[in-house]
Amino acid sequence: MTSNRRTETEHEEVSALIPWYVNETIVERDRQRLDAHVDVCVSCRDDLAAQQRLCEAMESQPALDYMPVASLRRLHARLDAMQADAASSSPPAGPPVTSPMPWRGWMAASIAAMAVAVALLAADRWVQFASRRGQSDYSTVTNSVPRPPGEVIRAVFSPAITLVELQTMLDEAQLRIVSGPTEAGVYSLGSNAALPVSASLALLRQHSTVRFAEGTSPEPGSGNSR
Amino acid sequence: MILPAKNSPKERDSALLAAIAAGDRRALEELYLSYHRRLARFLSRFTPRYENIEEIINDTFMVVWQNAKEFRNASQVSTWIIGIAYRTALKSFRRQKNHTVASLEDYPEQTVDPTFAAEVNDWLKHGLSRLPIEQRLTLELAYHMGHSLEEIAAITDCPVGTVKARMFHAREKLRQYLPALSGVSADLPVRIG
Repeated sequence: MTSNRRTETEHEEVSALIPWYVNETIVERDRQRLDAHVDVCVSCRDDLAAQQRLCEAMESQPALDYMPVASLRRLHARLDAMQADAASSSPPAGPPVTSPMPWRGWMAASIAAMAVAVALLAADRWVQFASRRGQSDYSTVTNSVPRPPGEVIRAVFSPAITLVELQTMLDEAQLRIVSGPTEAGVYSLGSNAALPVSASLALLRQHSTVRFAEGTSPEPGSGNSR
Repeated sequence: MILPAKNSPKERDSALLAAIAAGDRRALEELYLSYHRRLARFLSRFTPRYENIEEIINDTFMVVWQNAKEFRNASQVSTWIIGIAYRTALKSFRRQKNHTVASLEDYPEQTVDPTFAAEVNDWLKHGLSRLPIEQRLTLELAYHMGHSLEEIAAITDCPVGTVKARMFHAREKLRQYLPALSGVSADLPVRIG
């Protein structure tokens, strides 16, 4: 390498360090090297002066200061939203970390998907059940199934009652069987007309073998079940 | 999180980052407040809109929050944070049309006399705005933020040679655009056009 070539290389290397000489972060060895070079290199000396002016001009430019509080609040809101998302989709909280077991995330997702499927199935069943409630395929003792002719009372008796006891009771209450018993054990009773329905009901309800007795025709004072 | 006053800024930053890695939001808040002014001043040299500045700073601290555990003390915490801000800003500026690199022909002729102190800021802004964003960021990191060559290499994730080259080209262009800064014409009033 010739002397000129060496000088040119030195010039390029030292010239490249001028900005860090200017901002005073250059290492000591390079600072001494640059000091020695600018003593003999007019170009680098001029460049050093120009860069010092540029640095001073940039440093002296007015800078705006901003209040960070509102920005910080918005950062917190973003973190809250991120953590809420994370909590709804996977267990980890705090700074997200690389999971050593990535399958856990998939398992959590699968469990969540299954839970959603079960919930949807249950909801569907409930809707079906609720829709059937309005059109029940069973009947209560008092619901509005067609009334047999002459029926004024529906009654359910104890399974242990004998036919003699039943007949004695009906005679006493001036009632007769017009229909039944149904599969549910319901009797439709007609009145012999000598006694008001309310009085017949009152007589029936005195017996312990009467489980249920209700008038089927609207009549003031009636309607109390046993 | 309250740290003992005897801690140096570097130790304080390291302790805060360790707390952030453990999920401490108060530590994040403390670190945010200690860096906000520096970053906002730096970024305000590239964009006048605070919403852009805030977006870059907050994006930076989202990354800090998410990656605090990955920090291995290979560099200073400040270098790491400013490096994240640098990359975030670079992406943001590249997205913004008003930060696309313009050619000399895109600008009007210089009409500002740099010998008047009141006009120096506009004149300097004019010259800096002509630099490619990577060159300008490098220049600002050195002259405005005061970072060393090695720190800028770490912040920009580039070899030292690349940092030197960017700075060299920035200086050459500024010498061309801002002749008053050169030693030769410093005393000459420049009014062109």
